[in-house]
Amino acid sequence: MADASFGFSTLQMGELAIGKHVHYILSVEKKKDSFESVVMDHLRMNGAYWGLTTLDLLGKLDSVNADEVLSWIMACQHESGGFSGNIGHDPHILYTLSAVQVLALFNKLDVLDIDKVATYITGLQNEDGSFSGDMWGEVDTRFSYIAICCLSILRCLDKINVEKAVSYILSCKNLDGGFGCTPGGESHAGQIFCCVGALAITGSLHHVDKDLLGWWLCERQVKSGGLNGRPEKLPDVCYSWWVLSSLIMIDRVHWIDKEKLVKFILDCQDLENGGISDRPDDAVDVFHTYFGVAGLSLLEYPGLKAVDPAYALPVDVVNRIFFGR
Amino acid sequence: MDLLNQLETILESDPLIDEVGFIHPSQFVTLHKECGESGNLSADGDFGSTNMKFWNRDHKLGISTEVLLPLCKAAKSAFMNVMKQYKMLSNLSDSKSEDENAMYVSSLSCQSFEDEVMKHSRALLLLSSDFGTAWNARKLVVLKEQQLSMFTDELLLSALVLSYSPKSEQAWSHRRWVIKMIAGKHLNLQQILAKESELVEKIAERSKMNYRAWNHRCWLVSYMTREQMLHELKRSRDWAGLHVADNSCFHYRRRLMLRILENKQEGDDFSYGVENYHVMKEELDLNEVLVKRYIGREALWLHRRFLSLMWIQHLTTMCGISCHSEQKTGIDNEINLFLDKELCLLDSCSVIQDTEFEDFKAQAMYSAIYFLWLVKQIPQLRKIEMHEKLKVIVTSFTSSPSMSSRLGSDYQIQPWSGVSLPFIKSFATWIGDFITAAVGVVLASMDKVVRTKLTGCRPYGSSVSANNVDC
Repeated sequence: MADASFGFSTLQMGELAIGKHVHYILSVEKKKDSFESVVMDHLRMNGAYWGLTTLDLLGKLDSVNADEVLSWIMACQHESGGFSGNIGHDPHILYTLSAVQVLALFNKLDVLDIDKVATYITGLQNEDGSFSGDMWGEVDTRFSYIAICCLSILRCLDKINVEKAVSYILSCKNLDGGFGCTPGGESHAGQIFCCVGALAITGSLHHVDKDLLGWWLCERQVKSGGLNGRPEKLPDVCYSWWVLSSLIMIDRVHWIDKEKLVKFILDCQDLENGGISDRPDDAVDVFHTYFGVAGLSLLEYPGLKAVDPAYALPVDVVNRIFFGR
Repeated sequence: MDLLNQLETILESDPLIDEVGFIHPSQFVTLHKECGESGNLSADGDFGSTNMKFWNRDHKLGISTEVLLPLCKAAKSAFMNVMKQYKMLSNLSDSKSEDENAMYVSSLSCQSFEDEVMKHSRALLLLSSDFGTAWNARKLVVLKEQQLSMFTDELLLSALVLSYSPKSEQAWSHRRWVIKMIAGKHLNLQQILAKESELVEKIAERSKMNYRAWNHRCWLVSYMTREQMLHELKRSRDWAGLHVADNSCFHYRRRLMLRILENKQEGDDFSYGVENYHVMKEELDLNEVLVKRYIGREALWLHRRFLSLMWIQHLTTMCGISCHSEQKTGIDNEINLFLDKELCLLDSCSVIQDTEFEDFKAQAMYSAIYFLWLVKQIPQLRKIEMHEKLKVIVTSFTSSPSMSSRLGSDYQIQPWSGVSLPFIKSFATWIGDFITAAVGVVLASMDKVVRTKLTGCRPYGSSVSANNVDC
């Protein structure tokens, strides 16, 4: 159900400060000398994905030097084939997906030794179909999504046991229709995105009770229009992505009030210095800026590239991967 | 002494530190004053009263927010450097180990590098809790040494990190790794589980609705015996009653209950059956008490959805097993009885006693949505003569003296204002009618409408009649 009626209403509620946000993202890289940036140093690869995907959705990916980014990414790859969050850190599946996604943004997947990356990911699948995040064995449905998404982008999903991977994800389904980290874990919108995304990519969405899950998901919308990730929690811009993309994948997005959500996200902008925060008047960060912009893109906000709800990449990038443009 | 050295010396000298926090310089002044009043000015020397960067008393450690940045940088670079050397050395000792003398020398220096790795990674993790590579380095060293004391030290460090960063995913994950390593081999698993459960409860008290903490507790359940699960259910009962908005705690109870209900293979089937019955009944009763005491709590109503579903499933299974028609009638009666009780609850909860506060509106909304959910989820409900029951409710609404308060002003909209219109709309005509009925708006065609909708029940039908939902 496409909703093309934002034209008039956005004028009333203020608009997306595209220029400010671009400036904010470019400036984050330069501010390296704060405690916050030092403690985030180990997940710089995720940061790169959030920032660069936002720039691409805003149509400004060309404002960064692609070669610099590429050589830094490749310096983060390990012998095992996995990528680390930054140079000198240990590899993890979390950063491997981000690295592959960023390379996809720049249309540079060909610099990868695809077999090597695929071998790393395949090696993390366990007997029960689940995936470990790295050699130390922590299991989480997030890692199932990452493995499936990453291998799908690399066009070698057949290297893992998809059937078992799917059945493990389904074993994490709760009676409320949602999904948790491991069997019996509490439903959480972030985990739901991962599970639904993995099921969507593997063509297994028929295993989901869409009405039941859709009910839980649309109950995440609170009065302000924002979405929370679990019952009784405050709304947070990042759930504009996790909840919204899941609702779209199961075809139930018309169950929430989209216009109110758009307003909520726009209210979380820092109109002076750019960037988007979790809630109105909080401090901004790249993570929430990405999820705010991606959420608006899912809501078909004018002036933004469309984003794919399962791959979390711009639709034109996904099309390039699968249909050669 | 440089900053990092100071921190590491404190950590070395007081291995029992159980809490870390970052303190603003102005708070140091307050702390000094308090210390001065207690008359122990010089007792802690460098790190006690005079030091403005670190505070260490009673096994608590405070670090000044002013030194965080340089300290964190120093810890990171010290750790990364020693790690590089350590890895090089272990690669060397792996590849050529013929010469005994060389082996001795390299194992000696290996040992000292390991000490350094442990020292710097500890300091670093107290400043940057999710620095995965530092946790991994510790796993490498501990795995190599295979000493129980080192494993338990890891549990202490992880707890210490969680004291300032209770949501640290890495710290929780590190715990699980350690527990998997030592479980069975060194320590009694049941004791570990009990201790872990306590830790989660302690952290959950300070850090509300902490997903990572409760997820850890849910993970523990798969290792528990039936007795332990029953004990945990009992133990977390009071806590749940005091934290009625904490959905995670209720999820933990759901997890325990599901495991308890599913394990009936071993032991006495009959006594387990009776016990299971009581587990469910008690939880339903507790929930009803809480629902009535704490008005408008989403987590409580969601918990009730689960409980009702389990309860009716339980009754239905009994119905499936039994082939005697008498017993079947008895169970049907039980289901009917249960639904009557639920309708009474719905009835009592949809009275808005006070329009000033949102709570009563929320309560009315949650109770009605709860009932809708039940109708959708439980197929049996549709077979039962629901319209008769609804008629009773509607009659009680219209004849009740408080009716004017129910129907007063713009009542019809209020209880639903928290739910967006598209949400309601998409539940289609039958739900729209149901809502209308449940809040007591008497439509002339009430009887017919409800009967059609609930017996012909086309959930989430696509056509939406504006008349019905524009309440």
